Amino acid sequence: MASDQQTGGAPQGRRAIARARRREALARGWGQFRTRRAGMAGLGILLFFTLSALLAPVLFPPETISVTRATGELLAPPSGEFWLGTDDSGRSMLALLAWGARVSLTVGIAATLISMVIGTSVGIASGHYHGFGGAALQRLTDWVLVIPFLPLAIVLATVLGGGSTVTIIVVIGVTSWAGTARLIRAQTLSVEGRPYLERSRALGSGNWHQMTRHVLPNVFPLVLANTTLTVAIAILSETTLSFLGLGDPLRPSWGATLDQAFSNGAVSAGAWWYIGPPGLCVVLVVLSFTMIGRALEQIVNPRLGGQ
Amino acid sequence: MKVRRRWHAWAAFTSAIAVLVALPLLPASAEESPSPAATSAADKKVFTVGITQDVDSTNPFTGIAAASFEAYQMMYPTLTEYSAADFSTVPGLAESWEESADKTYWTYKIRPGLKWSDGEPLTARDAAYTFNRVINGDIEQTNYGGYTSTITKAVAEDDTTLVLYVKKPSPIMYQLAVYILPEHIWKDIDGKKVKSYKNEPENGEAVVGGGPYVLIERRKGEYLRFAANPNYYAGKPAADEVVFRVYKNTDAIAEALRKGEVDYANDLSANVFNSLEGAEGITTVPSVYSGFNQIAFNMGAALTDGTPIGDGSKIVLDPQVRLAVAQAIDRQVLADKVYGGFATPGSTVIPPLYTNLHLEPANPVGFDLDAANATLEAAGYTMGEDGVRVSPDGERMSLRLLGRQESSESQKVVEYVKDWLAQIGIEVNVKIVSEDTLYEKVGNGDFDMFEWGWVVEPDPDYQLSTFTCDQRSTEDDGTIYAGLSDSFYCDDEYDQLYEDQKLETDQAKRAEIVKQMQQKLYDSNAYVVTVYYDNPTAYRSDRWTNFTPQPEPDGVLLFQYGTWSYESIEPVTADNADTTSSSGGGVNPALIVVGVVIAAGLVLGGVMIGRRGRSEDDVE
Amino acid sequence: MSLIQDVAGGGGHDPVPGPPPLPRKDKGGKGLSPGASFALRKTGAALGTLFFVLVVNFFLFRLLPGDPIGMYTRGRNVPAEQLAQLRAELDRPILEQFLTYLRNPFSSTIDSAQFNRPVWELVTERIWPTLLLVGTAIVLASIIGVWIGIKAGWKRGKSFDKVSTGVTLTLYSMPEFWLGMILLIVFGVGVLGLPGVFPIGGISTPGVDTSSLAGWLDVAWHMVLPVTTLTLVYLAEYALVMRSSLVDEMDEDYLTTARAKGLSDKFVRRRHAVPNALLPTITLIFLNLGFTVSGAITVETVFSWPGLGLLSYEALRGPDVALLQAIFLLFSIGVVLANLVADLLYAVIDPRVRS
Repeated sequence: MASDQQTGGAPQGRRAIARARRREALARGWGQFRTRRAGMAGLGILLFFTLSALLAPVLFPPETISVTRATGELLAPPSGEFWLGTDDSGRSMLALLAWGARVSLTVGIAATLISMVIGTSVGIASGHYHGFGGAALQRLTDWVLVIPFLPLAIVLATVLGGGSTVTIIVVIGVTSWAGTARLIRAQTLSVEGRPYLERSRALGSGNWHQMTRHVLPNVFPLVLANTTLTVAIAILSETTLSFLGLGDPLRPSWGATLDQAFSNGAVSAGAWWYIGPPGLCVVLVVLSFTMIGRALEQIVNPRLGGQ
Repeated sequence: MKVRRRWHAWAAFTSAIAVLVALPLLPASAEESPSPAATSAADKKVFTVGITQDVDSTNPFTGIAAASFEAYQMMYPTLTEYSAADFSTVPGLAESWEESADKTYWTYKIRPGLKWSDGEPLTARDAAYTFNRVINGDIEQTNYGGYTSTITKAVAEDDTTLVLYVKKPSPIMYQLAVYILPEHIWKDIDGKKVKSYKNEPENGEAVVGGGPYVLIERRKGEYLRFAANPNYYAGKPAADEVVFRVYKNTDAIAEALRKGEVDYANDLSANVFNSLEGAEGITTVPSVYSGFNQIAFNMGAALTDGTPIGDGSKIVLDPQVRLAVAQAIDRQVLADKVYGGFATPGSTVIPPLYTNLHLEPANPVGFDLDAANATLEAAGYTMGEDGVRVSPDGERMSLRLLGRQESSESQKVVEYVKDWLAQIGIEVNVKIVSEDTLYEKVGNGDFDMFEWGWVVEPDPDYQLSTFTCDQRSTEDDGTIYAGLSDSFYCDDEYDQLYEDQKLETDQAKRAEIVKQMQQKLYDSNAYVVTVYYDNPTAYRSDRWTNFTPQPEPDGVLLFQYGTWSYESIEPVTADNADTTSSSGGGVNPALIVVGVVIAAGLVLGGVMIGRRGRSEDDVE
Repeated sequence: MSLIQDVAGGGGHDPVPGPPPLPRKDKGGKGLSPGASFALRKTGAALGTLFFVLVVNFFLFRLLPGDPIGMYTRGRNVPAEQLAQLRAELDRPILEQFLTYLRNPFSSTIDSAQFNRPVWELVTERIWPTLLLVGTAIVLASIIGVWIGIKAGWKRGKSFDKVSTGVTLTLYSMPEFWLGMILLIVFGVGVLGLPGVFPIGGISTPGVDTSSLAGWLDVAWHMVLPVTTLTLVYLAEYALVMRSSLVDEMDEDYLTTARAKGLSDKFVRRRHAVPNALLPTITLIFLNLGFTVSGAITVETVFSWPGLGLLSYEALRGPDVALLQAIFLLFSIGVVLANLVADLLYAVIDPRVRS
């Protein structure tokens, strides 16, 4: 990675060099990634679902998921017209899944962004500041890590008022950052121990400069690998919270669809097409993020081994 | 070679899973699938009812759950009863009743020679004791105050004559659903103790009662057991025991029914009902029910003194807007799709199963989106660029609609309504809240529209009172308390009609007034009654027969106004018992399949482990 | 204590499936009795976490909109004096209330709204079913998961590894309640003409005496599907962790040396690699109880298993704030204590930490 920068040269030139190096590192990373079959498979699956999400309004116009304009029989098994059958309002399951992909992916990515921003900031800050502030942030991280996720998320969602997608995003975002923070903190400490940072400190650069210019670029690859894994967790969490009825029932994510199926007796009715596909979509997307994340992690940190 | 090794890897993995499945299964399957319920002694006929909400208290003064009232009417008699056929008044504990000529008292003739379940005499004195206790009571008023508000005192002139003195004439005197309690038991439980009195069996002694059944065992959250009361005035029922078993949801009850753990399940979802249809030994009946659901509007939330409260939209105050909404809701579609056909489109607030009282409106509003659009257009609501209309005052037609977390139907209905209203230029913001929260929001007037419903009693008084001005919210010490009114409908003429029917003891004349009131409400569109819903029910017809529907011919079989079915049901005769035992004790093909798979997994795993051991030894 | 040291031995773990926290390998001990100082530090941290949980629990619920008393008293006949008492309690200064709360966090001022009973009573009677279900699943999952992990890690890159890693990763990516629903529909309800075999919910058949042998068998029969579900989900994580920690261990120099010295593979594995790799895995099983809690909540819901998980789901209706508060507290305390035990045990067992 673009680590040990050399002194000398005009600032402009240094930055250009750094940029070139990062580009190069990226290209090298991609080259390595391409050789990992699991990672590539994950990328493929992810592309498929992203496309479905983006194309949902084109492939399945909003009318197809409107309850008053649904054309199918209620809870019909898969047929030529409805490949994956219908839900209990007579809507095409296929259309619902495509629209659900939009919600699930959006929530997963948005929540991850929040989580990453908090996690990275807290991680870098707690690694950088050695005084009371750093220690306090570290304690906070430890606390949040220990508190069981789902009960905390349920409590937060209740306090913030359930039933909205934004609530779900915020709840997942603010409950899932601690793992990242811990990882980033460790990395920050190792980066800060490097000689050039000591030099930078000696030259009188401020905290902000050190953290954003030196630490952040160095922990960034790790953040990236961690992000994909966090998206996987976030999507699973969204599914769980929606299943518990904390999501927006009118904007059906895959989890909310499962909630609908469960509370409308799809299990007793033996409507496997109502329960199976949404869960399968979750599994595939989560798996794809996990596989990509693992591949990235192995590139960033070759010691983890694998092949 | 490579292929084989891969296969072994798989085998090891699947056998690991198989072992995992088998571990908890082995002892159980060895025992031949413990078939429950059927274990009860063969000579005792036990009728088991699945319920989802446990009886909250078996003390008739403190319980509030529906199942609790079902228990009370099994345990205790009432003066009169609602007939199974058509809800007309029929004798209960009282053989006959009469209003005095001057309309100041009613005389009830109690059946002679009755006994409580413990053998003590059951007389008019017990009835007088109970009524006086409610009239003079505090906590005793909670459940029964509504029936006794007009009664000043109860007097037992002798063992068979009860006289109730009234302030004003009232038709409620035909139907006093006050459970008559044994004085010799309850006289020891004073007004203070009654709050925490459990009224549960102690030391194996049944709770003393006078209804068709007595409570003999109670396990909180699990079940209640009742035994037939040999001293019951209509004779000892044929079912020796009735058990209420608590399940988490109707799905679980349906499954229990399928497996024979329970004999009766109601309140089934359409899907579950359909899946039970045609199942062996099970009969399904849709059962017409006395409930309706509605979309209600905030017609100007206010306190009883007229002080406005809440933040309701001005838009729904316009009758034309409410009419347009009524025109934009396809009740037939809701009945068919949301309620799976187990409902009929709604009209007025008294359901049609009360044939004597229900009004079929002369001017029904049908589903017509074009008409709804025209209504709004004519009333000056012009379409905005974003597809949302703007009121003559320049306000966007954006309304809030609250649905209920507890009901999946409610959540669907609001989605349908949102969809339809979008097509007539009204934007709807749906929020799903718990019924508790909804109650609070409605009481405070913080809503535009909501979805909820009522279960209507045979006596229309309570239902009609919910639209009177007096039932709007009240304020005490800065806190607003909800009344019964959830639409804040308030109309002097209506209030007058309400008072009139309250005093009318001629039942035919009263029905006329009640119909007039329904028409007024219908025209105002305070409620858009969406559907009258059924109570989809299923029972083990291979075990029990001779249920009594209320009303005839297709009403509910249990949870009636009365205990008709508990008294009439009979166990199915011997040849059917064979069917039951064969389905319970027979070899289940799926069990064999599972067993074989597990055995195969174990064998493969064993082979695998053996092989591995050998290959490793080779290495060593 | 130096910060660097703290990183290596720091508490908590990474919720993301990845390598387990590596055991401390720094040799530089701290002057006096490292064991005692370690235990002291860990206990202090656990106490800190507990306090944090209490603070969160208390103040978060004070943020809830709406009137808690109104929510509780609705539809009930609450005597005036009790009402006044409740009001007075909630009108006291917040700090004073907090102190009272600290004295006994479970004795909520307000009963559970929907059950109409003290929350403590409700919560305690639901603990055992959850312990039974989750405990069984954890034991099974650790045995099977660790076994799979060892085999996969030892034969890294071989077909067993590939298949098992694929399967465990898939299981890991699965919402546990969905797996439960699928098992329920296949084995409980029956699909495509096959009848269901297992009960579809509950802990026992109503009316069966659970203290008899038949009762135990009945409970075991009811446990099959929920335990299978939880085990499958849990074992995925355990297998993944065991595998990666074994892989780490095998890269260690001493193992290479051992093998070079001509010790047999089996011996090296049994005597060195597996025991060393097992430690972080077992620690992780403890540290990860927070994750098992999620499973308990949703799987108990699917199978109507009358434990704390189902109670949490039921508490969401309303929401039943007093009840939610108690459940959150109980889960958190359980997990914090388990973490502490794990940390201390780890220090006792692992020679490298004891140093």
